[in-house]
Amino acid sequence: MSERGARPKTLVALGLGLAGLILFPAEASAADPAYGEYLSSECVSCHRRDGQDKGIPPIVGWPPEQFIAVLQSYKTKDRKNEVMQTITGRLSDDDMAALAAFYGSLKPAP
Amino acid sequence: MKADRRTFLKGAAATTGVFALGAPAVLGQAKPKVVVIGGGPGGATAAKYIARDAKGALEVVLVEPLKEFVTCFHSNLYLGGFKTFEEITHTYDKLPGYGVTLAHQMASAIDRDKKQVRLADGVTLSYDRLVVSPGIDLKYDSVPGWGKEHEETMPHAWKPGAQTKLLKAKLDAVPDGGVIVMIAPDNPYRCPPGPYERVSMMAHVLKTAGKTKAKIVIIDPKKTFSKQGVFQEGWEKHFPGMVEWLAPDIHSGLKGVDPKTNTVETGFETYKNCALVNVIPKQTAGKIALDAGLANESGFCPIKPETMQSAKDDNIYVLGDATIAGDMPKSAFSANSQAKVAALMVRGELTKSPTFPARYANTCWSLITTDDTIKVGGSYAAKDGKISAIDTFVSKAGESAALRKENQVENMGWYSGITNDMLG
Repeated sequence: MSERGARPKTLVALGLGLAGLILFPAEASAADPAYGEYLSSECVSCHRRDGQDKGIPPIVGWPPEQFIAVLQSYKTKDRKNEVMQTITGRLSDDDMAALAAFYGSLKPAP
Repeated sequence: MKADRRTFLKGAAATTGVFALGAPAVLGQAKPKVVVIGGGPGGATAAKYIARDAKGALEVVLVEPLKEFVTCFHSNLYLGGFKTFEEITHTYDKLPGYGVTLAHQMASAIDRDKKQVRLADGVTLSYDRLVVSPGIDLKYDSVPGWGKEHEETMPHAWKPGAQTKLLKAKLDAVPDGGVIVMIAPDNPYRCPPGPYERVSMMAHVLKTAGKTKAKIVIIDPKKTFSKQGVFQEGWEKHFPGMVEWLAPDIHSGLKGVDPKTNTVETGFETYKNCALVNVIPKQTAGKIALDAGLANESGFCPIKPETMQSAKDDNIYVLGDATIAGDMPKSAFSANSQAKVAALMVRGELTKSPTFPARYANTCWSLITTDDTIKVGGSYAAKDGKISAIDTFVSKAGESAALRKENQVENMGWYSGITNDMLG
Protein backbone atom coordinates (compact mmCIF):
# COMPACT_ATOMS: atom_id res chain seq x y z
CA MET A 1 0.00 0.00 0.00
CA SER A 2 2.80 2.43 0.80
CA GLU A 3 4.17 2.01 -2.69
CA ARG A 4 0.79 2.80 -4.22
CA GLY A 5 0.37 5.72 -1.91
CA ALA A 6 3.68 7.19 -3.00
CA ARG A 7 3.15 6.80 -6.71
CA PRO A 8 0.66 9.59 -7.30
CA LYS A 9 2.92 12.45 -6.21
CA THR A 10 5.63 11.66 -8.73
CA LEU A 11 3.21 11.33 -11.57
CA VAL A 12 1.20 14.37 -10.60
CA ALA A 13 4.40 16.37 -10.97
CA LEU A 14 5.13 14.74 -14.29
CA GLY A 15 1.60 15.31 -15.50
CA LEU A 16 1.62 18.98 -14.54
CA GLY A 17 4.92 19.47 -16.28
CA LEU A 18 3.68 17.99 -19.51
CA ALA A 19 0.28 19.57 -19.47
CA GLY A 20 1.56 23.00 -20.29
CA LEU A 21 3.53 21.84 -23.29
CA ILE A 22 1.70 19.22 -25.26
CA LEU A 23 -1.62 17.56 -25.75
CA PHE A 24 -1.75 14.43 -23.66
CA PRO A 25 -1.31 11.17 -25.46
CA ALA A 26 -4.15 8.68 -25.37
CA GLU A 27 -2.44 6.60 -22.72
CA ALA A 28 -2.73 8.80 -19.67
CA SER A 29 -0.23 8.76 -16.86
CA ALA A 30 -1.40 7.26 -13.58
CA ALA A 31 -2.09 10.13 -11.28
CA ASP A 32 -2.55 12.90 -13.75
CA PRO A 33 -5.16 14.97 -11.92
CA ALA A 34 -7.06 15.70 -15.12
CA TYR A 35 -7.24 11.99 -15.81
CA GLY A 36 -8.42 11.27 -12.26
CA GLU A 37 -11.09 13.91 -12.63
CA TYR A 38 -12.17 12.48 -15.98
CA LEU A 39 -12.41 8.98 -14.51
CA SER A 40 -14.40 10.40 -11.60
CA SER A 41 -17.06 11.59 -14.03
CA GLU A 42 -18.15 7.94 -14.08
CA CYS A 43 -18.51 7.95 -10.27
CA VAL A 44 -20.43 11.20 -9.87
CA SER A 45 -23.48 9.90 -11.73
CA CYS A 46 -24.26 8.13 -8.45
CA HIS A 47 -21.82 9.30 -5.76
CA ARG A 48 -22.54 12.99 -5.30
CA ARG A 49 -19.46 15.13 -5.80
CA ASP A 50 -20.49 17.32 -2.86
CA GLY A 51 -20.18 14.31 -0.56
CA GLN A 52 -23.83 14.23 0.50
CA ASP A 53 -25.31 10.83 1.30
CA LYS A 54 -28.69 10.47 -0.41
CA GLY A 55 -28.66 6.70 -0.57
CA ILE A 56 -25.28 6.06 -2.18
CA PRO A 57 -22.21 6.29 0.07
CA PRO A 58 -20.09 9.46 -0.16
CA ILE A 59 -16.55 8.85 -1.45
CA VAL A 60 -14.94 12.28 -1.24
CA GLY A 61 -11.97 12.95 1.02
CA TRP A 62 -11.02 9.31 1.62
CA PRO A 63 -7.37 8.43 2.26
CA PRO A 64 -6.03 7.15 -1.10
CA GLU A 65 -4.89 3.81 0.34
CA GLN A 66 -8.38 3.07 1.63
CA PHE A 67 -9.97 4.25 -1.62
CA ILE A 68 -7.79 1.87 -3.62
CA ALA A 69 -8.35 -1.02 -1.22
CA VAL A 70 -12.13 -0.69 -1.50
CA LEU A 71 -12.00 -0.49 -5.30
CA GLN A 72 -9.79 -3.59 -5.37
CA SER A 73 -12.23 -5.48 -3.15
CA TYR A 74 -15.00 -4.87 -5.70
CA LYS A 75 -12.73 -5.79 -8.60
CA THR A 76 -11.87 -9.11 -6.94
CA LYS A 77 -15.60 -9.52 -6.16
CA ASP A 78 -14.91 -9.85 -2.43
CA ARG A 79 -17.41 -7.06 -1.97
CA LYS A 80 -20.81 -7.70 -3.50
CA ASN A 81 -22.31 -5.02 -5.63
CA GLU A 82 -22.76 -5.68 -9.33
CA VAL A 83 -22.61 -2.02 -10.32
CA MET A 84 -19.32 -1.53 -8.51
CA GLN A 85 -17.93 -4.86 -9.70
CA THR A 86 -18.67 -3.84 -13.28
CA ILE A 87 -17.20 -0.36 -12.89
CA THR A 88 -14.02 -1.58 -11.18
CA GLY A 89 -13.63 -4.54 -13.51
CA ARG A 90 -11.85 -2.39 -16.07
CA LEU A 91 -9.96 -0.09 -13.69
CA SER A 92 -6.21 -0.66 -13.82
CA ASP A 93 -3.96 0.00 -10.82
CA ASP A 94 -3.02 3.29 -12.44
CA ASP A 95 -6.69 4.21 -12.95
CA MET A 96 -7.35 3.50 -9.28
CA ALA A 97 -4.37 5.57 -8.22
CA ALA A 98 -5.54 8.50 -10.32
CA LEU A 99 -9.06 8.25 -8.91
CA ALA A 100 -7.83 7.90 -5.35
CA ALA A 101 -5.60 10.95 -5.74
CA PHE A 102 -8.46 12.99 -7.17
CA TYR A 103 -11.01 11.98 -4.54
CA GLY A 104 -8.45 12.33 -1.77
CA SER A 105 -8.03 15.96 -2.79
CA LEU A 106 -11.75 16.76 -2.44
CA LYS A 107 -13.40 17.92 0.73
CA PRO A 108 -17.03 17.26 1.59
CA ALA A 109 -19.29 20.28 1.23
CA PRO A 110 -19.95 21.90 4.63
CA MET B 1 -21.83 38.65 -32.72
CA LYS B 2 -24.98 39.23 -34.63
CA ALA B 3 -26.85 42.30 -33.54
CA ASP B 4 -29.93 40.35 -32.58
CA ARG B 5 -27.93 38.24 -30.18
CA ARG B 6 -26.94 41.15 -28.02
CA THR B 7 -30.22 41.38 -26.25
CA PHE B 8 -30.59 37.65 -26.20
CA LEU B 9 -27.35 36.66 -24.55
CA LYS B 10 -27.84 38.78 -21.49
CA GLY B 11 -25.99 36.36 -19.30
CA ALA B 12 -23.02 35.88 -21.60
CA ALA B 13 -19.60 36.91 -20.51
CA ALA B 14 -18.44 40.20 -21.96
CA THR B 15 -16.76 39.73 -25.30
CA THR B 16 -15.28 41.83 -27.99
CA GLY B 17 -18.63 41.96 -29.72
CA VAL B 18 -17.72 40.10 -32.88
CA PHE B 19 -17.69 36.32 -33.10
CA ALA B 20 -15.81 34.68 -35.87
CA LEU B 21 -17.97 32.27 -37.77
CA GLY B 22 -16.32 28.96 -38.25
CA ALA B 23 -12.76 28.55 -37.06
CA PRO B 24 -11.96 28.45 -33.36
CA ALA B 25 -10.86 31.80 -32.05
CA VAL B 26 -7.20 32.62 -31.78
CA LEU B 27 -5.48 34.67 -29.13
CA GLY B 28 -6.90 38.12 -28.72
CA GLN B 29 -10.16 37.28 -30.43
CA ALA B 30 -13.52 36.14 -29.15
CA LYS B 31 -13.88 32.88 -27.27
CA PRO B 32 -14.77 29.73 -29.18
CA LYS B 33 -18.47 29.09 -29.00
CA VAL B 34 -20.31 25.94 -28.06
CA VAL B 35 -24.06 25.64 -28.53
CA VAL B 36 -25.90 22.77 -26.85
CA ILE B 37 -29.40 21.86 -28.04
CA GLY B 38 -31.56 20.08 -25.45
CA GLY B 39 -31.58 20.35 -21.66
CA GLY B 40 -32.01 16.69 -20.74
CA PRO B 41 -29.46 14.33 -19.21
CA GLY B 42 -27.22 14.58 -22.29
CA GLY B 43 -27.38 18.28 -23.07
CA ALA B 44 -27.52 19.69 -19.56
CA THR B 45 -24.59 17.53 -18.47
CA ALA B 46 -22.56 18.47 -21.54
CA ALA B 47 -23.23 22.19 -21.11
CA LYS B 48 -22.33 22.11 -17.43
CA TYR B 49 -19.14 20.08 -17.88
CA ILE B 50 -17.89 22.06 -20.88
CA ALA B 51 -18.50 25.42 -19.20
CA ARG B 52 -17.26 24.38 -15.76
CA ASP B 53 -14.08 22.73 -16.96
CA ALA B 54 -13.25 25.34 -19.60
CA LYS B 55 -13.10 27.88 -16.77
CA GLY B 56 -14.23 30.77 -18.92
CA ALA B 57 -12.25 29.84 -22.05
CA LEU B 58 -15.39 28.93 -23.99
CA GLU B 59 -18.79 30.50 -24.46
CA VAL B 60 -21.46 27.88 -23.80
CA VAL B 61 -25.14 28.39 -24.62
CA LEU B 62 -27.75 25.78 -23.67
CA VAL B 63 -30.86 25.96 -25.86
CA GLU B 64 -33.87 24.45 -24.11
CA PRO B 65 -37.44 25.71 -24.44
CA LEU B 66 -38.62 24.57 -21.01
CA LYS B 67 -37.70 26.40 -17.83
CA GLU B 68 -38.48 23.37 -15.71
CA PHE B 69 -37.14 19.93 -16.46
CA VAL B 70 -39.36 16.99 -15.53
CA THR B 71 -37.31 13.82 -15.55
CA CYS B 72 -38.59 10.94 -17.60
CA PHE B 73 -36.51 8.72 -15.34
CA HIS B 74 -38.43 8.10 -12.10
CA SER B 75 -41.66 9.30 -13.72
CA ASN B 76 -42.81 5.70 -13.20
CA LEU B 77 -42.19 6.23 -9.49
CA TYR B 78 -44.55 9.20 -9.65
CA LEU B 79 -47.07 6.94 -11.37
CA GLY B 80 -46.67 4.39 -8.59
CA GLY B 81 -47.06 6.97 -5.83
CA PHE B 82 -43.44 6.70 -4.67
CA LYS B 83 -42.55 10.25 -5.67
CA THR B 84 -44.42 13.52 -6.05
CA PHE B 85 -44.42 15.43 -9.32
CA GLU B 86 -42.42 18.15 -7.59
CA GLU B 87 -39.73 15.62 -6.74
CA ILE B 88 -39.16 14.85 -10.41
CA THR B 89 -39.22 18.52 -11.46
CA HIS B 90 -35.99 20.55 -11.56
CA THR B 91 -34.81 23.97 -12.69
CA TYR B 92 -31.74 25.07 -14.62
CA ASP B 93 -30.98 27.83 -12.11
CA LYS B 94 -27.57 26.54 -11.07
CA LEU B 95 -26.09 26.24 -14.58
CA PRO B 96 -25.34 29.95 -15.13
CA GLY B 97 -23.08 29.70 -12.08
CA TYR B 98 -20.85 27.35 -14.10
CA GLY B 99 -20.76 29.76 -17.04
CA VAL B 100 -23.66 28.35 -19.05
CA THR B 101 -25.89 30.87 -20.79
CA LEU B 102 -29.50 29.66 -20.89
CA ALA B 103 -31.57 30.26 -23.99
CA HIS B 104 -35.12 29.20 -23.19
CA GLN B 105 -36.14 28.88 -26.81
CA MET B 106 -36.91 26.08 -29.20
CA ALA B 107 -34.08 25.44 -31.63
CA SER B 108 -35.82 25.47 -34.99
CA ALA B 109 -33.02 24.69 -37.44
CA ILE B 110 -29.34 23.89 -37.80
CA ASP B 111 -27.38 25.31 -40.73
CA ARG B 112 -24.38 23.01 -40.87
CA ASP B 113 -22.65 24.93 -43.65
CA LYS B 114 -22.82 28.25 -41.83
CA LYS B 115 -22.38 26.57 -38.43
CA GLN B 116 -25.41 28.33 -37.04
CA VAL B 117 -28.47 27.40 -35.01
CA ARG B 118 -31.68 29.32 -35.59
CA LEU B 119 -34.03 29.68 -32.66
CA ALA B 120 -37.81 29.89 -32.81
CA ASP B 121 -37.73 33.61 -32.00
CA GLY B 122 -35.52 34.27 -35.04
CA VAL B 123 -32.26 34.68 -33.14
CA THR B 124 -29.28 33.00 -34.79
CA LEU B 125 -26.44 31.50 -32.78
CA SER B 126 -23.16 30.64 -34.44
CA TYR B 127 -21.02 27.84 -33.11
CA ASP B 128 -17.56 26.35 -33.35
CA ARG B 129 -18.90 23.07 -31.96
CA LEU B 130 -22.54 22.05 -31.60
CA VAL B 131 -23.89 19.44 -29.20
CA VAL B 132 -27.25 18.00 -30.25
CA SER B 133 -29.17 16.16 -27.55
CA PRO B 134 -32.81 16.47 -28.59
CA GLY B 135 -34.14 13.19 -27.19
CA ILE B 136 -36.84 11.39 -29.10
CA ASP B 137 -39.86 12.27 -31.17
CA LEU B 138 -42.87 9.96 -31.30
CA LYS B 139 -43.99 8.32 -34.53
CA TYR B 140 -47.66 9.09 -34.28
CA ASP B 141 -48.42 7.07 -37.40
CA SER B 142 -46.92 3.82 -36.08
CA VAL B 143 -50.05 2.52 -34.34
CA PRO B 144 -53.10 2.02 -36.60
CA GLY B 145 -56.03 4.14 -35.47
CA TRP B 146 -53.98 6.28 -33.13
CA GLY B 147 -52.44 9.72 -33.67
CA LYS B 148 -51.47 12.91 -31.90
CA GLU B 149 -55.12 13.91 -31.68
CA HIS B 150 -55.74 10.84 -29.54
CA GLU B 151 -52.97 11.28 -27.01
CA GLU B 152 -55.40 12.71 -24.46
CA THR B 153 -57.68 9.67 -24.75
CA MET B 154 -54.96 7.09 -25.04
CA PRO B 155 -51.90 8.71 -23.47
CA HIS B 156 -48.33 7.72 -24.28
CA ALA B 157 -46.64 9.45 -21.33
CA TRP B 158 -43.33 8.70 -23.05
CA LYS B 159 -42.32 12.33 -22.83
CA PRO B 160 -42.52 13.77 -19.34
CA GLY B 161 -44.90 16.49 -18.24
CA ALA B 162 -48.65 16.81 -18.74
CA GLN B 163 -48.85 13.33 -20.27
CA THR B 164 -47.30 11.84 -17.13
CA LYS B 165 -49.96 13.48 -14.97
CA LEU B 166 -52.70 12.42 -17.35
CA LEU B 167 -51.65 8.78 -17.23
CA LYS B 168 -51.55 8.90 -13.43
CA ALA B 169 -55.05 10.37 -13.26
CA LYS B 170 -56.39 7.74 -15.62
CA LEU B 171 -54.65 4.96 -13.71
CA ASP B 172 -56.07 6.13 -10.40
CA ALA B 173 -59.57 6.08 -11.96
CA VAL B 174 -59.36 2.47 -13.19
CA PRO B 175 -62.13 0.49 -11.45
CA ASP B 176 -61.67 -2.92 -9.86
CA GLY B 177 -62.15 -5.41 -12.65
CA GLY B 178 -61.06 -2.86 -15.29
CA VAL B 179 -58.68 -3.78 -18.08
CA ILE B 180 -55.57 -1.76 -18.90
CA VAL B 181 -53.89 -2.41 -22.24
CA MET B 182 -50.36 -1.25 -22.89
CA ILE B 183 -49.13 -1.13 -26.48
CA ALA B 184 -45.40 -1.66 -26.01
CA PRO B 185 -42.94 -0.28 -28.57
CA ASP B 186 -40.60 -2.17 -30.86
CA ASN B 187 -36.85 -1.64 -30.60
CA PRO B 188 -35.12 0.75 -30.53
CA TYR B 189 -36.86 3.02 -28.06
CA ARG B 190 -36.23 5.22 -25.04
CA CYS B 191 -35.74 3.32 -21.76
CA PRO B 192 -35.89 -0.41 -22.60
CA PRO B 193 -37.16 -1.53 -19.15
CA GLY B 194 -39.49 1.48 -18.88
CA PRO B 195 -42.73 -0.10 -20.15
CA TYR B 196 -42.33 -3.03 -17.78
CA GLU B 197 -41.49 -0.91 -14.76
CA ARG B 198 -44.56 1.12 -15.67
CA VAL B 199 -46.71 -2.02 -15.72
CA SER B 200 -45.29 -2.91 -12.30
CA MET B 201 -46.20 0.51 -10.94
CA MET B 202 -49.71 0.23 -12.42
CA ALA B 203 -50.17 -3.14 -10.73
CA HIS B 204 -48.77 -1.76 -7.47
CA VAL B 205 -51.27 1.12 -7.51
CA LEU B 206 -54.18 -1.18 -8.30
CA LYS B 207 -53.24 -3.70 -5.64
CA THR B 208 -52.66 -0.99 -3.03
CA ALA B 209 -56.17 0.33 -3.77
CA GLY B 210 -57.59 -3.18 -3.35
CA LYS B 211 -58.41 -3.46 -7.06
CA THR B 212 -56.89 -6.90 -7.51
CA LYS B 213 -59.51 -7.93 -10.07
CA ALA B 214 -58.13 -5.35 -12.48
CA LYS B 215 -55.87 -6.66 -15.20
CA ILE B 216 -53.01 -5.28 -17.28
CA VAL B 217 -52.41 -6.72 -20.74
CA ILE B 218 -49.19 -5.90 -22.59
CA ILE B 219 -49.33 -6.19 -26.38
CA ASP B 220 -45.68 -6.44 -27.31
CA PRO B 221 -44.14 -6.52 -30.79
CA LYS B 222 -40.94 -7.92 -29.23
CA LYS B 223 -40.27 -11.56 -28.46
CA THR B 224 -38.25 -10.69 -25.37
CA PHE B 225 -37.72 -7.59 -23.25
CA SER B 226 -35.25 -6.05 -20.82
CA LYS B 227 -34.94 -7.82 -17.43
CA GLN B 228 -37.77 -10.09 -18.56
CA GLY B 229 -37.13 -12.99 -16.19
CA VAL B 230 -37.01 -10.89 -13.05
CA PHE B 231 -39.92 -8.69 -14.08
CA GLN B 232 -42.12 -11.69 -14.72
CA GLU B 233 -41.00 -13.35 -11.50
CA GLY B 234 -41.92 -10.16 -9.63
CA TRP B 235 -45.33 -9.91 -11.28
CA GLU B 236 -46.17 -13.49 -10.32
CA LYS B 237 -44.95 -12.95 -6.78
CA HIS B 238 -46.57 -9.60 -6.04
CA PHE B 239 -49.47 -9.36 -8.46
CA PRO B 240 -50.63 -12.89 -9.26
CA GLY B 241 -53.06 -13.00 -12.18
CA MET B 242 -52.97 -9.24 -12.72
CA VAL B 243 -50.36 -8.92 -15.49
CA GLU B 244 -50.48 -10.69 -18.84
CA TRP B 245 -47.60 -10.21 -21.27
CA LEU B 246 -48.35 -11.24 -24.83
CA ALA B 247 -45.51 -11.87 -27.25
CA PRO B 248 -46.15 -11.43 -30.99
CA ASP B 249 -46.60 -15.15 -31.57
CA ILE B 250 -49.47 -15.08 -29.06
CA HIS B 251 -51.31 -11.90 -30.07
CA SER B 252 -50.57 -12.32 -33.79
CA GLY B 253 -49.98 -8.63 -34.29
CA LEU B 254 -51.68 -5.38 -33.33
CA LYS B 255 -54.47 -4.66 -35.81
CA GLY B 256 -55.29 -1.26 -34.40
CA VAL B 257 -56.90 0.84 -31.69
CA ASP B 258 -60.16 2.78 -31.61
CA PRO B 259 -59.89 5.75 -29.24
CA LYS B 260 -63.65 6.43 -29.49
CA THR B 261 -64.51 3.14 -27.80
CA ASN B 262 -61.19 2.48 -26.04
CA THR B 263 -60.81 -0.70 -28.02
CA VAL B 264 -57.63 -2.56 -28.89
CA GLU B 265 -57.74 -5.21 -31.58
CA THR B 266 -55.10 -7.87 -32.10
CA GLY B 267 -55.03 -10.94 -34.30
CA PHE B 268 -55.77 -12.95 -31.17
CA GLU B 269 -58.34 -10.97 -29.22
CA THR B 270 -60.23 -7.69 -29.13
CA TYR B 271 -60.25 -5.73 -25.88
CA LYS B 272 -63.33 -3.47 -25.74
CA ASN B 273 -64.14 -0.66 -23.31
CA CYS B 274 -60.69 -0.71 -21.76
CA ALA B 275 -60.36 1.27 -18.56
CA LEU B 276 -57.07 2.64 -19.85
CA VAL B 277 -55.06 2.23 -23.03
CA ASN B 278 -51.41 3.32 -22.87
CA VAL B 279 -49.97 3.59 -26.38
CA ILE B 280 -46.18 3.76 -26.50
CA PRO B 281 -45.46 4.32 -30.19
CA LYS B 282 -42.29 3.90 -32.22
CA GLN B 283 -39.76 6.66 -31.92
CA THR B 284 -37.11 8.57 -33.84
CA ALA B 285 -34.39 11.02 -32.95
CA GLY B 286 -35.74 14.48 -32.17
CA LYS B 287 -36.94 16.32 -35.28
CA ILE B 288 -34.17 18.88 -35.37
CA ALA B 289 -31.60 16.09 -35.73
CA LEU B 290 -33.58 14.56 -38.59
CA ASP B 291 -34.00 17.94 -40.31
CA ALA B 292 -30.26 18.59 -40.03
CA GLY B 293 -29.49 15.31 -41.78
CA LEU B 294 -27.79 13.81 -38.73
CA ALA B 295 -29.86 10.60 -38.75
CA ASN B 296 -29.65 7.65 -41.09
CA GLU B 297 -32.48 5.54 -42.49
CA SER B 298 -33.17 4.11 -39.02
CA GLY B 299 -34.34 7.51 -37.79
CA PHE B 300 -31.50 7.72 -35.27
CA CYS B 301 -28.08 9.35 -35.47
CA PRO B 302 -24.86 7.43 -36.10
CA ILE B 303 -21.93 8.62 -34.01
CA LYS B 304 -18.20 8.03 -33.78
CA PRO B 305 -17.82 5.82 -30.70
CA GLU B 306 -14.46 7.32 -29.78
CA THR B 307 -15.83 10.83 -29.35
CA MET B 308 -19.65 10.97 -29.71
CA GLN B 309 -19.13 13.14 -32.81
CA SER B 310 -21.78 12.81 -35.46
CA ALA B 311 -20.70 10.35 -38.15
CA LYS B 312 -21.98 12.95 -40.61
CA ASP B 313 -20.42 16.17 -39.28
CA ASP B 314 -17.23 16.53 -37.24
CA ASN B 315 -18.35 19.87 -35.82
CA ILE B 316 -21.41 18.29 -34.22
CA TYR B 317 -21.68 15.91 -31.28
CA VAL B 318 -24.88 13.94 -30.78
CA LEU B 319 -25.90 12.49 -27.42
CA GLY B 320 -28.44 10.32 -25.70
CA ASP B 321 -31.66 8.79 -26.98
CA ALA B 322 -31.21 10.36 -30.44
CA THR B 323 -28.07 8.34 -31.15
CA ILE B 324 -27.20 4.89 -32.37
CA ALA B 325 -24.99 4.09 -29.40
CA GLY B 326 -24.08 0.50 -30.15
CA ASP B 327 -24.63 -1.72 -27.12
CA MET B 328 -25.68 1.15 -24.85
CA PRO B 329 -29.40 1.44 -24.15
CA LYS B 330 -31.31 4.69 -24.53
CA SER B 331 -31.30 5.82 -20.92
CA ALA B 332 -30.65 8.93 -18.87
CA PHE B 333 -27.60 7.24 -17.40
CA SER B 334 -26.22 6.55 -20.89
CA ALA B 335 -26.86 10.12 -22.06
CA ASN B 336 -25.16 11.52 -18.97
CA SER B 337 -22.19 9.21 -19.54
CA GLN B 338 -21.92 10.08 -23.24
CA ALA B 339 -22.11 13.79 -22.39
CA LYS B 340 -18.93 13.57 -20.35
CA VAL B 341 -17.03 12.01 -23.23
CA ALA B 342 -18.31 14.69 -25.60
CA ALA B 343 -17.49 17.45 -23.10
CA LEU B 344 -13.92 16.18 -22.82
CA MET B 345 -13.50 16.00 -26.58
CA VAL B 346 -15.08 19.41 -27.27
CA ARG B 347 -12.74 21.06 -24.77
CA GLY B 348 -9.84 19.12 -26.24
CA GLU B 349 -10.62 20.47 -29.69
CA LEU B 350 -11.31 24.06 -28.72
CA THR B 351 -8.95 24.68 -25.79
CA LYS B 352 -6.34 21.96 -26.39
CA SER B 353 -7.03 20.49 -22.97
CA PRO B 354 -5.99 16.83 -22.48
CA THR B 355 -8.24 14.10 -23.82
CA PHE B 356 -8.43 10.44 -22.83
CA PRO B 357 -9.97 7.34 -24.37
CA ALA B 358 -13.77 7.35 -24.22
CA ARG B 359 -15.35 5.19 -21.54
CA TYR B 360 -19.03 4.79 -20.94
CA ALA B 361 -21.28 3.23 -18.31
CA ASN B 362 -24.94 2.58 -17.70
CA THR B 363 -27.17 1.23 -14.95
CA CYS B 364 -30.97 1.12 -15.03
CA TRP B 365 -32.88 0.36 -11.85
CA SER B 366 -36.55 -0.67 -12.07
CA LEU B 367 -38.96 -0.72 -9.15
CA ILE B 368 -41.47 -3.61 -9.13
CA THR B 369 -43.15 -2.81 -5.81
CA THR B 370 -42.14 -1.42 -2.43
CA ASP B 371 -38.54 -2.42 -1.65
CA ASP B 372 -38.24 -4.73 -4.65
CA THR B 373 -35.92 -3.16 -7.22
CA ILE B 374 -34.03 -4.91 -10.01
CA LYS B 375 -31.19 -3.54 -12.10
CA VAL B 376 -29.24 -3.99 -15.30
CA GLY B 377 -26.01 -2.32 -16.30
CA GLY B 378 -22.69 -2.39 -18.02
CA SER B 379 -19.42 -0.74 -18.90
CA TYR B 380 -18.72 0.19 -22.51
CA ALA B 381 -15.92 1.41 -24.75
CA ALA B 382 -15.26 2.19 -28.41
CA LYS B 383 -14.49 -1.12 -30.05
CA ASP B 384 -15.16 -2.74 -33.41
CA GLY B 385 -16.49 0.51 -34.83
CA LYS B 386 -19.23 0.99 -32.24
CA ILE B 387 -19.80 1.47 -28.53
CA SER B 388 -19.35 -2.10 -27.32
CA ALA B 389 -20.15 -3.66 -23.98
CA ILE B 390 -17.07 -4.58 -21.94
CA ASP B 391 -18.96 -6.16 -19.06
CA THR B 392 -22.64 -6.35 -18.19
CA PHE B 393 -24.87 -7.62 -15.38
CA VAL B 394 -28.56 -8.10 -14.69
CA SER B 395 -30.50 -8.99 -11.54
CA LYS B 396 -31.20 -12.66 -11.09
CA ALA B 397 -34.33 -14.58 -10.19
CA GLY B 398 -34.57 -15.65 -6.57
CA GLU B 399 -32.46 -12.85 -5.12
CA SER B 400 -32.96 -12.03 -1.44
CA ALA B 401 -35.44 -9.39 -0.32
CA ALA B 402 -32.55 -7.64 1.44
CA LEU B 403 -30.64 -7.24 -1.84
CA ARG B 404 -33.71 -5.95 -3.66
CA LYS B 405 -34.26 -3.42 -0.88
CA GLU B 406 -30.61 -2.31 -1.14
CA ASN B 407 -31.17 -1.86 -4.86
CA GLN B 408 -34.03 0.52 -4.15
CA VAL B 409 -31.91 2.62 -1.77
CA GLU B 410 -29.30 2.71 -4.56
CA ASN B 411 -31.96 3.69 -7.11
CA MET B 412 -33.04 6.68 -5.03
CA GLY B 413 -29.40 7.60 -4.39
CA TRP B 414 -28.62 7.45 -8.10
CA TYR B 415 -31.49 9.83 -8.86
CA SER B 416 -30.10 12.33 -6.41
CA GLY B 417 -26.60 11.83 -7.85
CA ILE B 418 -27.43 12.19 -11.52
CA THR B 419 -29.75 15.15 -11.15
CA ASN B 420 -27.08 16.86 -9.05
CA ASP B 421 -24.47 15.95 -11.65
CA MET B 422 -26.57 17.44 -14.45
CA LEU B 423 -28.11 20.45 -12.82
CA GLY B 424 -26.78 20.91 -9.28
